[in-house]
Amino acid sequence: MKHLDRRQFLRNLGISAGTLPFLSGLPSLTGAPAPQKRQRLIVMFSPNGTIPNEFWPEQEGADFSFKSILKPLEPFKKQMLILHGIANKVGGDGDSHMRGMSCLLTCDELLKGNIMGGGGNPAGWASNISIDQEMKNFFQSRAETKTRFGSLEFGVAVPDRADPWTRMSYAGGNQPIAPMDDPHQVLKKLYGQMKDKESLVSILDDVGADLKRVSSKLSARDKALLDQHMTLVRGLEQDLADADKQGALAHPVPKVDPSIEMVNDNTPQISRIQIDLLVNSLANDMARVGTLQYMRSVGMAQMRWLGIEEGHHSLSHDPDDKKESYEKLMKINTWFAGEFAYLAKRLSETPEASGEGSMLDNTLLVWTNELGKGNTHTLDNIPYVMVGGGCGFKMGRSLKFDKAAHNRLWLSVAHGIGHTSLKTFGKTELCEGGALVLA
Amino acid sequence: MSARTVFTNSSFAIFLVLSVKTALFGAAPAPEREHPGKVVYLKLCAECHGDRGQGVEDEYDEVLTGEKSVEALAKYIDRTMPEDDPDKCSPEESKLVTAYIYEAFYSPAAQAQINPPQKELSRLTIDQVRRSVMDLIGRFRMGPGFDRPVGNEQGLKATYRGVELPKPGEKAVDTTPKKGIQAKRPNKTIERVEPVIAFHWGADSPDKVVLEAEQFQNRFEGSVIAAETGLYEFAVKSENGFRLWVNDGSESDVLIDGWVSNGPQVREEKKSIFLVSGRTYMLRLEHFKFKEQTASIELWWRTPHGVKELIPAHAMRTDRPRELMIVNTEFPADDSSGGYPRGTTISKAWDQAVTDAAIATAEHVVENLDELSGSKVGEPDRGGKLRKFAFSFVESALRRPLSDEQKAFFIEAQFKAAKSPETAVKRVVLFTLKSPEFLYPNLRDDEKQDDFEVASRLALALWDSIPDKKLAQAATAGKLHTRDQLKAEAQRMIADPRSKAKMQGFFHHWLELERAEGSTKDPKIFPGFDAEMMADLRLSLFQFIDQVVWSEKSDYRELLQADYLLMNEHLGKYYGHPVTGNEFQRVGCDPMQRAGVITHPFLLASLAYTKQSSPIHRGVFLTRNIVGMSLKPPMKAVVFEDSHFNPKLTMREKITELTRSGGCMSCHSMINPLGFSLENFDAVGRWRTKDNNKPVNPVSEFATADGKTVRLAGPRDIVNYVAENPSGHRAFIRHLFHHIVKQEPTAYGAQRVDEMQREFAANGCNIQKLLMDIALIASLDGIPVEPDTKAKK
Repeated sequence: MKHLDRRQFLRNLGISAGTLPFLSGLPSLTGAPAPQKRQRLIVMFSPNGTIPNEFWPEQEGADFSFKSILKPLEPFKKQMLILHGIANKVGGDGDSHMRGMSCLLTCDELLKGNIMGGGGNPAGWASNISIDQEMKNFFQSRAETKTRFGSLEFGVAVPDRADPWTRMSYAGGNQPIAPMDDPHQVLKKLYGQMKDKESLVSILDDVGADLKRVSSKLSARDKALLDQHMTLVRGLEQDLADADKQGALAHPVPKVDPSIEMVNDNTPQISRIQIDLLVNSLANDMARVGTLQYMRSVGMAQMRWLGIEEGHHSLSHDPDDKKESYEKLMKINTWFAGEFAYLAKRLSETPEASGEGSMLDNTLLVWTNELGKGNTHTLDNIPYVMVGGGCGFKMGRSLKFDKAAHNRLWLSVAHGIGHTSLKTFGKTELCEGGALVLA
Repeated sequence: MSARTVFTNSSFAIFLVLSVKTALFGAAPAPEREHPGKVVYLKLCAECHGDRGQGVEDEYDEVLTGEKSVEALAKYIDRTMPEDDPDKCSPEESKLVTAYIYEAFYSPAAQAQINPPQKELSRLTIDQVRRSVMDLIGRFRMGPGFDRPVGNEQGLKATYRGVELPKPGEKAVDTTPKKGIQAKRPNKTIERVEPVIAFHWGADSPDKVVLEAEQFQNRFEGSVIAAETGLYEFAVKSENGFRLWVNDGSESDVLIDGWVSNGPQVREEKKSIFLVSGRTYMLRLEHFKFKEQTASIELWWRTPHGVKELIPAHAMRTDRPRELMIVNTEFPADDSSGGYPRGTTISKAWDQAVTDAAIATAEHVVENLDELSGSKVGEPDRGGKLRKFAFSFVESALRRPLSDEQKAFFIEAQFKAAKSPETAVKRVVLFTLKSPEFLYPNLRDDEKQDDFEVASRLALALWDSIPDKKLAQAATAGKLHTRDQLKAEAQRMIADPRSKAKMQGFFHHWLELERAEGSTKDPKIFPGFDAEMMADLRLSLFQFIDQVVWSEKSDYRELLQADYLLMNEHLGKYYGHPVTGNEFQRVGCDPMQRAGVITHPFLLASLAYTKQSSPIHRGVFLTRNIVGMSLKPPMKAVVFEDSHFNPKLTMREKITELTRSGGCMSCHSMINPLGFSLENFDAVGRWRTKDNNKPVNPVSEFATADGKTVRLAGPRDIVNYVAENPSGHRAFIRHLFHHIVKQEPTAYGAQRVDEMQREFAANGCNIQKLLMDIALIASLDGIPVEPDTKAKK
């Protein structure tokens, strides 16, 4: 962010705009109550497959019981759909992790490219827009659902590299979107102008006092210039005060420890901060679509906070009968479920601006993965868990499909949110049968 | 467009008015003590010019002042004054009047005494803000460009990594990876320096004898030199994977990320970044091939006034500087109403820009706090280290040790008020960069006339920046007390690229090159004269100036009198000189045709219309900036409209007709001869002997400021007259002084320019010595200097 983008960025925030430098052009920053129901979509990703036996309920229908990994989600049982039998059938170039990740939300084959994985041909970026961005464009195309950002892409412990293993959101074919995995980066994007404003307010008095002190020693001639300078400082103070009056947030900015370091061992804290920031940004209606990406496919997080020293991806390759690894993978996936549950909980605790119900009632959360199972690299039975409401789905069920293409699932989500003109998504032949019926 | 305003880019006019009123008889007899010239003046001149030459409304309302010598002025008055009846004033009376008014108010020295110019309180200019902030942050990083000069080796350091091919006779080893390139350990590295990055390896590897072709990774590392301030567009072309970093080398701040390819076609990806001139910026390019059919890589850029080109070797170094803090905030232009940009006015837009720059800097500091403060989060003495950082930040920014009051104000109060030491640092940075002590470096305060003040002025004069560590240390040690000490520091600083950047800015200003930027020529009349030609000409001019200025002689006269041009093949072809290769080389010319900067095609083209030459633009430029005579704005703007003239006339004939009428000639008698003497050059600066199918007539008589008449028949006559002429020297000195000090030289003494001129002439017109002289005058003004150590003994 140290090249031109910063300037553009500051300008977009209105910082260098004329008279009301810290407020211009940002009506939704204040989170003013909007009349209509605010439908939202959040997709959460965790990598390297799951442990099927500890994940999928035995039963189908409303009467199901939780296996250990999904236990943290029990409080949301009535607002949940567990979708077994969804498959990524896209095929094409790239290894399973690459296709699992970059076709997860795009549902079409990868472009030709130079990135070589553990199998298959080398491949490039996704060739299609991702469903979150499709929905963002849908929301942004209508005045009543348009927001400042439309969508926000969050990450936790995503490594600093851009390749098909690290990107799931695409603005279009060949246009990957990098998630923001540093809370400070998020704060700057969402509230940068307010933070700048706070910092400025805190020093303007001092600048004024200093000007006074310095100019008392000057000749009348030189003083005139500093007097003019003083007027400018007072003017800026006034502008900031005016902006303050208009710019109070409906939901205050969460506090972020300014010194938290972006290192592996801080992942649990960073995860919670990111979730808080995500919920807060949606509460302030800055966006209607969010993604939350943990690590990346083939992610090697060392979850020492769970007592696990080995990297996640290495563990995921161990055979099922290696009990120690099996249990560690259970712990890891349960931890992800816990973060997903925390996200749901935060939304359920936050009342809608309309006063009716909680944010969770109008938000569909989808937790997914690039693989069905780590040690087989299967793209069948990919974990899909939904929590929330607002899509007209009949929640509180465990569903079992038979290798239904994930294209059809995302079509259901799009239709549930009202984007009914979307007839196919991604590879057309995989949309046969249309949207899965979830109502 | 057939019509053009003659005075669009330059304004000039007469300085003695031609009045229609008659001075009447009967002026009161003068008291005995009165200057006899004053008696005549009051009788014949005061009615229009005022009793003290201050001017009279509706008559001649300008102050009566100018650059003519006593002789020239006397001649002029005798010939033209009073306007309605020049005979009324006898030659004897003209001499008396001249002797009186010259001393009383006409000469610049007299004016300086009547209205002694004062040094004006000035804020940092835009350039000074950018450079001060860059150097301020740089003080905490150091590295090449700070504690040592950037190395001279051109090009980039290349590292090629791949799988080694079996040596002849050796059995091939299967090195096929199981898991792609990440897992494959390259077992051969080749290192070498590459001048330009433009490789097309086809199906081969960078070294087909040693490296396997299927896959390899390359890295090109070093730096790029920014010769001008502005936006640089970088572009990488390849069908493979690549990433480019400029300035900021951290993984996440990649400027161009083309790591993932998209089929076999060559992709071009580009991105712009704002760079400040006189600095060298880290650059790293990574490139990799994996199983693609072919491999190639090219590294391009477009500089602010250049055209798109492969980054040339002379703009790259293998040395790697640390990251620089670039303030890329857009500022409103500095006030140039005095003829040069300076910081004597402020506005809301300026305050806003300063605020934006301060915020950007505070963010940069906070983002890089560990590195800058040499501490880590959670370290036991984090708070202490941050406080120390803040202290040294403020001290460097304010260019002096802090008073107790300032310590309390800038540091203690901030650390007390902020919730965390990190936040405190942010506040300190914001406050410091918005404080008057930082923004107004010449806040006069008599208690502070010490070595730190000297250091601050010297750094501002030579670098437009804050003192570097060495200079600050010299100030702390009290080693800026004598002229010799100061000279030694100045000498060191003049050799730094920052001084060169400042001098380049000066030449841009003196030669009014701004008008060349965006200037175009009619492609029907001048096919082939395009943006690339202008870019090459610009380089040719700047390289010529650089060579002259930074040579040992550093002779101003060579700038004017050189009978050669620097050309590459492209320019040589167009201007009719056989040259091969892209590098600029010296091409000898007919000395009667080419004479230094004034006949450089870049200048000649910039001082011309799109289709035709413009003797007036050329003449005005020469009068003011080269010959050193002042011109006042014209009484009325006259439009040069080509269609109004007989189409068979030459440009000289048209201009003669246009400026024939009474009022014009008082200035155009100077402007036209100078402009006409360059009529052998067309609108793109090519030599011609015919204009509009008639022979060019470049000959005129030119009345000089010291009352002589010079016959001008071409550029050589102008430069021969000017090179040794004090008036031309003074124009050069004044321009340089303005650019370096951003104050009027007369504010440093009424005779200052004359003194500098004598010194300049005595020094063989050495530009570097003049720069030193100016820097010392500015730095030591009002400060008592101890005798030099030699004198002490």
